[in-house]
Amino acid sequence: MKNSLHVKLLLKITQEYVNAHFTFVFSLLFSLLFLAYSYNFSTQSWRPIVLIFFVIYAITTAYVGFLTLRIKQDLASHNDIRKSTRLLGYPLLLTIVSGNIFSTSFAFLLMSKSKTAEYIFAAYAFITQLFIIGISALNLFKPYVTDTFLLAMGLFLFLAIFYIVMLILCTKFVTSEAAPKWMLFPGILLLIASLTGNLFATLLGYSLIQKARKSNPSTIEKWQRIWEKILRNTMAVFGLFFIVFMFSLSVTSSWTFDYDFAIENNYGALLQTPSLEYPLGTDNYGRDLFSRIVFGAQISLIVGLFSTIIPALIGGTLGAFSGYYGKATDNLIMRSLDILYAIPGILLAIAIIAAFGANTINLIIALSVGAIPTYARTMRANVMQLSNFEFVESARALGASDAAIIFKHIVPNSLAPMIVKATLTIGGAVISTSSLSFLGLGIEPHIPEWGNILKVGSTYLETHSYVAIFPGLCIMLLVLSFNFLGDGLRDALDPKSN
Amino acid sequence: MVISKVRSSTKEHVFFFSVYQKLMHHKSYNALFFLLSILVHPLTYLSYRKRKHSLQYRQTFEQRSQYYKEKGLVTKWQVKFAEQELAKAKFFHESVSEKQLQETASKLAETKIQQLVEQDLSKDGLEDPSYLQFFSQQLKNKSFVVLTFLPAFLFYVALILFANPFLQYVIERILQSFIVIVGVATLVFTILYLSPFDPARNLLGVTATPEQITNFNHIHGLDQPYLSQLWNALSGLFTFDLGTSFAGKENITHSIVNKFPITLEIAILSLLMAIAIAIPVGIISAVRPNSYLDYTFMFIALIGLSIPSFWQGLIFILTFALKLQWFPATYNPQNWLSLIMPVIVLGTSITASIARMTRSSMLEVIHEDYIITARAKGLNEFKVISKHAIRNAMIPIITVIGLLFGGMLGGASVTEKVFNISGIGSYIVDKQFIPDIPAILGGVVYIAITISIVNLFIDILYAFFDPRIRSKMKKS
Repeated sequence: MKNSLHVKLLLKITQEYVNAHFTFVFSLLFSLLFLAYSYNFSTQSWRPIVLIFFVIYAITTAYVGFLTLRIKQDLASHNDIRKSTRLLGYPLLLTIVSGNIFSTSFAFLLMSKSKTAEYIFAAYAFITQLFIIGISALNLFKPYVTDTFLLAMGLFLFLAIFYIVMLILCTKFVTSEAAPKWMLFPGILLLIASLTGNLFATLLGYSLIQKARKSNPSTIEKWQRIWEKILRNTMAVFGLFFIVFMFSLSVTSSWTFDYDFAIENNYGALLQTPSLEYPLGTDNYGRDLFSRIVFGAQISLIVGLFSTIIPALIGGTLGAFSGYYGKATDNLIMRSLDILYAIPGILLAIAIIAAFGANTINLIIALSVGAIPTYARTMRANVMQLSNFEFVESARALGASDAAIIFKHIVPNSLAPMIVKATLTIGGAVISTSSLSFLGLGIEPHIPEWGNILKVGSTYLETHSYVAIFPGLCIMLLVLSFNFLGDGLRDALDPKSN
Repeated sequence: MVISKVRSSTKEHVFFFSVYQKLMHHKSYNALFFLLSILVHPLTYLSYRKRKHSLQYRQTFEQRSQYYKEKGLVTKWQVKFAEQELAKAKFFHESVSEKQLQETASKLAETKIQQLVEQDLSKDGLEDPSYLQFFSQQLKNKSFVVLTFLPAFLFYVALILFANPFLQYVIERILQSFIVIVGVATLVFTILYLSPFDPARNLLGVTATPEQITNFNHIHGLDQPYLSQLWNALSGLFTFDLGTSFAGKENITHSIVNKFPITLEIAILSLLMAIAIAIPVGIISAVRPNSYLDYTFMFIALIGLSIPSFWQGLIFILTFALKLQWFPATYNPQNWLSLIMPVIVLGTSITASIARMTRSSMLEVIHEDYIITARAKGLNEFKVISKHAIRNAMIPIITVIGLLFGGMLGGASVTEKVFNISGIGSYIVDKQFIPDIPAILGGVVYIAITISIVNLFIDILYAFFDPRIRSKMKKS
């Protein structure tokens, strides 16, 4: 009895087992989806490509199911996962070709016994790079590619090899407390590599440099602990992966994707169904939907980021002053923000755009203004709580000025809820952006933006539904990723759960 | 009989006095009461001056302080204070001259003696009242109240109203909402006023002569200065007369009255759907946390939160209207089937939010001590959850529902556009291209007013039902 309880607990805390279970469920779901889509009910025929995907995913599911059982057995009999089981993770790496991110990440998790945060960063940097190579390679089927295409692809390949080398180095030399001194050099290289937008490389480089320089051990521990918590949350990690992937794609897309395919009319290829040349088909002007969606990510991310950062800064400052000084200042600031809070964000945005015209800058301003009060409230509540703590009193006793107390002592300690809030609202901003564009009130109609693409798609809903389906899926996935990441961050940063 | 009457009247005098005393500490109330009783103040102030000049207080004060000085206490304190000052200067490495030192010391001693004497005198029942204190003392006086009852009628009414903490809260809250609504109207009007667009040019076309444009601006009052335009807009909003729209010469209030119920109907139906689905789902998730059911529900909720409503609308039209042909694709007031898709689409994100909120709120409550007590008492699981947990977990959820309802009314414009519903949201969107200032203003402000009223109502209901809030109000 006691033993079975022990095993149950062990299963619960073993990350590999939890992840195996999760991978199994998701692979199964995807294979069922593929199976459902592989048969075309209206023409009573099979779609061979989808069927192949179904077979691959079904095999993966079966293999993962086998691994899950094996891990369970290992844990029951040896209290640990055996080396032979870990070796069985290697073949699973091949599933990256089918684009199964779940099983690939599970393979990386299973392969190594010591999982430092650096190891996982390196693994995801590698996966992200491979995905970008795969997406960019689809351009090979186009009539021509950009001048920088070969160079960029060479760079991507080199980076992918670099990341896999780093992955091996991390397993050999990096522990959760320290890294050898020479790791400083690859760390700097990784920071340079993050110019391609691969934020996993940035994270890896930063934590390697931190460890190699032997900086303050408590900072290292804190950083490590927070990331361990976030990385344990499988969905948060996939959210982060998709965001980084989208970000990196939108940074590098101008090197490998030709902007002309996205905006130039091509009357020879109106409303084509998906094919290798046009992976997602074309729209009513013959523009390649795939390129348009890739370039649309840029706009969505830019608007989403800015319309989160601006109100976070303004609202945060107002909230900090309001919470610190209290009384009349608090009343004045919060009562005026109540006015902003009483108007629904999207209506305020419509009013502002109606007054000043629809373009990207106005859209960012319009979305920012409406979001100020929520940030101010969050910050105010934190600051009010913190300003009663002893460290604030001691700072005051030492003669620090009010501004120094607020911005050096209080604000850094109340950033965590702000970060969580910001992550959760970026998704909302992305939805608002595309909604307003859909109404004709957002980004200018000629710019490839997801809402604009959907607007075109809505007129061809009956005949060419894919024009409306794919950009919507992208919006949903991006927002979902931000929400998952935000949830994960909240669980990791929440002082209550510590 | 007579005695009882007298007693009740004295009671009432203390009543006015005590209410006034309680509210005097708030600055804003002070100003309000002063304004309401302004007719009484000149005479009262005169009598106050007169009383003040009677020298009795000052004389006693002098005597008392003289007494302390004679006892030699003052010099003693002075030496002590000088010592303290010196020590302080030494610690901070500051140099202080002897003269400065003596000055501060004597000043400190002086204030100390003043405080001491004042304390002594108040013990003897002698006080030097400020004017407002004097005024509040007068409220105890029966003849004063009777005399001033008519000129300061509003003042007494206000005192009677504010005597009840619940009524006071309600009045405060209504006043606050009113200020917010005026603020909203001013803000939206200012934004539209600052617009660089010229509605006259947009409507009359490029070929319009300058006379035509001036004429247009004159008809719609666009040539007036900012403040008078703002006044017209505000008074128009509150008297439900917004004039005619720039384009089409339709009566704006009339169109809004026609369109508002449609939006409201869809929004309320969505809200009901959301509550009916989300709260049970949230409770089930919280009762069985980290189970498969919980994961599935929360995953679906997160998808519902992440799905853009217009895309969801399009997918619904594609599947249920075009492919399966279950529902009509566009809204038609005669056909209730056409209402189902818009209601679901509008309600999806709010359902997801409420479900998540219910789960976290329930989880918080379930770990409270009184739930353990309830279990220890031997109540079964169902009773513990339904009687003890849900009722307490509902409080934050209802607030969230109020806030989300506002967001839903705002988001209705997108859903209305997708399903071709002629509600208030799509009305605003249609009018913004000109821009038709009074129409947009009316639409946005009336929605904001609705939201404010809903939130006001919820807050007041809380104050009524939640015993914790009630007792807090009584204490303060």
